[in-house]
Amino acid sequence: MTTRTLHRRSRTREVITRLAAYLAILVALILTLFPIYWIAANSFKFDIDIFAVPPEWLPRNPTLKHYDEAFIQRPFLRYALNSFLVAVGTTTVSVVFGTMAGYALARFNYPWQWRKQISFWILSTRMMPPIVSIIPLYLFFNYFDMLNTKSALVIAYTAFNLPFATWMMKSYFQDLPVELEEAAVVDGDTRWGAFLHVALPLARPGLAATAIFCLIISWNEFLLSLIITLTEQSQTLPIGIAGRVTQYNTYWGEISAAGFMACVPIVIFAFIVQKHLVRGLSLGAVKG
Amino acid sequence: MVRKLFLTLAAAASVLAISGAAWADITILVPSGSEGDGLRAAAADYAKMKGTKVETVQAPYANVFEQGANAGATKSGIFDIVLMDDPWIPFFAENGHLEDLTPFFKNAGLEGPDNDFLSKSLAICRNPYNSGPYVCLPYVGNAQMFFYDASKYKEAGVDAPKTWDDVLKASKTLTEGGGGRYFGYVFRGGQGNPVVADFMPIFWSYGADLFNADRTKVTIDTPEGAAAMKMFMALRDVSPKGVESYNANEVGTALAAGTSASSINWPNWVATFEDPSQSKMVGKISYGPIPAGTKPGSSEIGHWTMGIMSASKNKQEAFDFMLWATSPEQIKISAERGNPPVRASVFTDPELTKQEKFRHYPVLMEAIQASTPRPRHPKWPEIENAFGIELSKAVAGTITPEEALKNAQAAVEQITGLK
Amino acid sequence: MLKSANDGTLTAQSPPGGPLERWAERHLRYLMLAPTVLILLALTIFPSVYMFYAAVHKISPNPDLAWEFVGPGNFARLLSDAQFHVALRNTVVFTVVAVAVEFLLGLGLALLLDKFIRRLTFLKTVLMIPMMLPPIAVAITWKLIYEPQFGVLNEIMYRLGLPLQAWAGDVNLAMFSIIVADVWQWTPFIFLLMLAGLASLPVEPYEAAALDGASSWRQFWDLTLPFLKPVIAIALLLRVMDALRLFDLVFILTGGGPADRTKVLSLYIYQVAYRFADPGYAAAISLFVLFVTIILSTWFMKRMRLAD
Repeated sequence: MTTRTLHRRSRTREVITRLAAYLAILVALILTLFPIYWIAANSFKFDIDIFAVPPEWLPRNPTLKHYDEAFIQRPFLRYALNSFLVAVGTTTVSVVFGTMAGYALARFNYPWQWRKQISFWILSTRMMPPIVSIIPLYLFFNYFDMLNTKSALVIAYTAFNLPFATWMMKSYFQDLPVELEEAAVVDGDTRWGAFLHVALPLARPGLAATAIFCLIISWNEFLLSLIITLTEQSQTLPIGIAGRVTQYNTYWGEISAAGFMACVPIVIFAFIVQKHLVRGLSLGAVKG
Repeated sequence: MVRKLFLTLAAAASVLAISGAAWADITILVPSGSEGDGLRAAAADYAKMKGTKVETVQAPYANVFEQGANAGATKSGIFDIVLMDDPWIPFFAENGHLEDLTPFFKNAGLEGPDNDFLSKSLAICRNPYNSGPYVCLPYVGNAQMFFYDASKYKEAGVDAPKTWDDVLKASKTLTEGGGGRYFGYVFRGGQGNPVVADFMPIFWSYGADLFNADRTKVTIDTPEGAAAMKMFMALRDVSPKGVESYNANEVGTALAAGTSASSINWPNWVATFEDPSQSKMVGKISYGPIPAGTKPGSSEIGHWTMGIMSASKNKQEAFDFMLWATSPEQIKISAERGNPPVRASVFTDPELTKQEKFRHYPVLMEAIQASTPRPRHPKWPEIENAFGIELSKAVAGTITPEEALKNAQAAVEQITGLK
Repeated sequence: MLKSANDGTLTAQSPPGGPLERWAERHLRYLMLAPTVLILLALTIFPSVYMFYAAVHKISPNPDLAWEFVGPGNFARLLSDAQFHVALRNTVVFTVVAVAVEFLLGLGLALLLDKFIRRLTFLKTVLMIPMMLPPIAVAITWKLIYEPQFGVLNEIMYRLGLPLQAWAGDVNLAMFSIIVADVWQWTPFIFLLMLAGLASLPVEPYEAAALDGASSWRQFWDLTLPFLKPVIAIALLLRVMDALRLFDLVFILTGGGPADRTKVLSLYIYQVAYRFADPGYAAAISLFVLFVTIILSTWFMKRMRLAD
């Protein structure tokens, strides 16, 4: 066997592997995108065409009816605005405080075993089944007269997102070399200054990654919003969508239109930060 | 730059924390859906007319109950009025969430609701059923009807189905000729409320019921129950695969899309069947009362009723609104907005009945008058769940129909403590 | 991994500013942690106390009736409650299968993309879209796809000459249908974390391994997996925690049926708390779930050395 045939054989093998890999990725893409396409396609069909047999792969008789129903006749724009404010508020609070706590847990020492215990306690607050905490949270917000406010939602969601943000940022800071901050302090900066001027800029990708996860979670949250919000003054998109499943009828078209539009802002945000996203996670990755 | 962003975001967060809720004179909890939309529109009219600020809170249908129960259990007076599905009434009333309406009627110089309301509609508003004081007023009058494609039924040799045997006979022929893509019958088989709702009318039309007349015994596992179960299983065999997850919507769609010939459903579907953008069967779906078994058929009543929450701080205002909203004029407006009425005068109003979209009113009125309420028990949701599990198992074929009846009997006995 | 060498012992020689700032600087380690700890305390202490208190009481939905102390009664009920056992079993099956499949698919996909089309960043973002959709819209869309008479899935089966299925309405396929929908939505989460982990792998060990003639399979087992271990651990931990609280999909797709085959713990807790108006028992079930979750995750974090 000459070297050349060996080469050729391994080359063919490589080509085949590569083709198989592309094929697998293509299949994954189709499987991922089809249901999304299906939401989009259904949002442009009349109700009767959503249930055509055989299904209409392309809307044969496209209509904007459902967009009109959802966004003009029903207050889905208002729901979207509420969702947006709540998601931005939650993300901000969670990322700001989570970053500080994550930094502290990554860099400072505490008496006894506090660091370990506080870290675990913070994570464990996320393990509470939400369905039961609904009743006490309801009492809590009712007592403070905060039912049906967006701020109540921000507070409740923060309870879920803060632990997550703290852990992400903690592991991220742990992977950043500490020397740069030391150098800054030696140069006369304060400890807080070293965090603000040195560590934080380095952590930018981690911030982006944490932010997008917090955004996704709070944009889509359902159970808590269901109990805390009452009117369109504070109701969020998922509640609006659930409201179209009524006792007698499910308004598939409207739900598809609203669901499809609901992912657009997040997808746009993801595309904007996609570079940071992967790099951010990769450096900090969620190592312990 | 990052630092600036960080600080700006922090500032933005603190601004967001300031916002508050402004409450109105009357706040009404309604489900989202046509019944809630109707009351919401009426509330807006009322606010304009009387200068009262009326706020409607719309929760998804599946969660109105929790919202109301939460408010009741915590005595939070956020809701003055709740629009309730009638099977919830015993729960709300017997747990002290609802206000007795008797003194309010007295104050208004009335004996009670006038007798233009259908008697069955009023009966459910009293707790205990038909004998206790009024705890709510009916607003939307629903009762199940039997829908079928008359021309298909005729092909199968049944003119107008009078009994479940007729239905089974036609459905069997149609399903056998349907090649797996067309079915004679379709029903709600989803575990929980759906399967129970579509079984109860059959159960009743064979003379069975969950309890005996004086409520001392559970009577599910009886010869009558077995006869109903036998018919139910026979109907399942001619229904499409997958009814095990069906709810009202799937059943209605199957008829509107012309893939099934008959089913039980709520009258709201009449409008959908007649809308060309939602239905292929415009003008082809007929309806009638629930077919008979060994006894006359009886449909399940499904009214939406308004009650005043005990914790409300504006009870008189709430009562005034309820009286106004259930007046003949308002019920007629509500009917025009798409919600079936609860008053005989509106059901027989020629202005309405001459219109195509209200042609089902005589049948619906008859159906309500021949309807049966779901067993009135404060633990009904738990009973329904247990019964629903066993029915779902029977429909799915994991246990025999006999076992299902036996298990359901035992489960309901345990829940109610009747043994 | 770099251990924090300075441990906060590192202080600036002469912090500028007034006494307040100096004080703040000295206590920075507490001040930076304080908001998070205080917020979480404020938001969890009341629910936790309430939950413990509720769990030992029989609570009537009637606000005028006092709570009846039942001690461990609610917990004793867990032993004999058949519906709870069914829900527990279904939850375990769902969690194990769904998370395992999501993990394998997510890791595999990340490896493929990392190896073959590293540059096409936008493809990665496209593959992540499912987790950005509202779960409730996802559930409703899958309901349409599974619809036995009109759904696309059965249309495809029909075209391929395969027997039509009832999917979410079939006793044997219902759980499978729920898992597929969950896998569709949450594989991207694992995929993203794995992709990020892969991007941070050091290059040198691989070059050495290649020189030694190690196959790519060996490289994967000996290098990639050990390097990814911390990322894998936290990804699994977060997914398991979320899988245990699965609600929307079941609520919309099956309602727990047919024949109780998809009744999961969250759905059961919801029914007990709201439909059966027994919040005390619901709290007991929740405490049980919380307890098991904490034990499992502590054990898991110890094993994976994640605790620090």
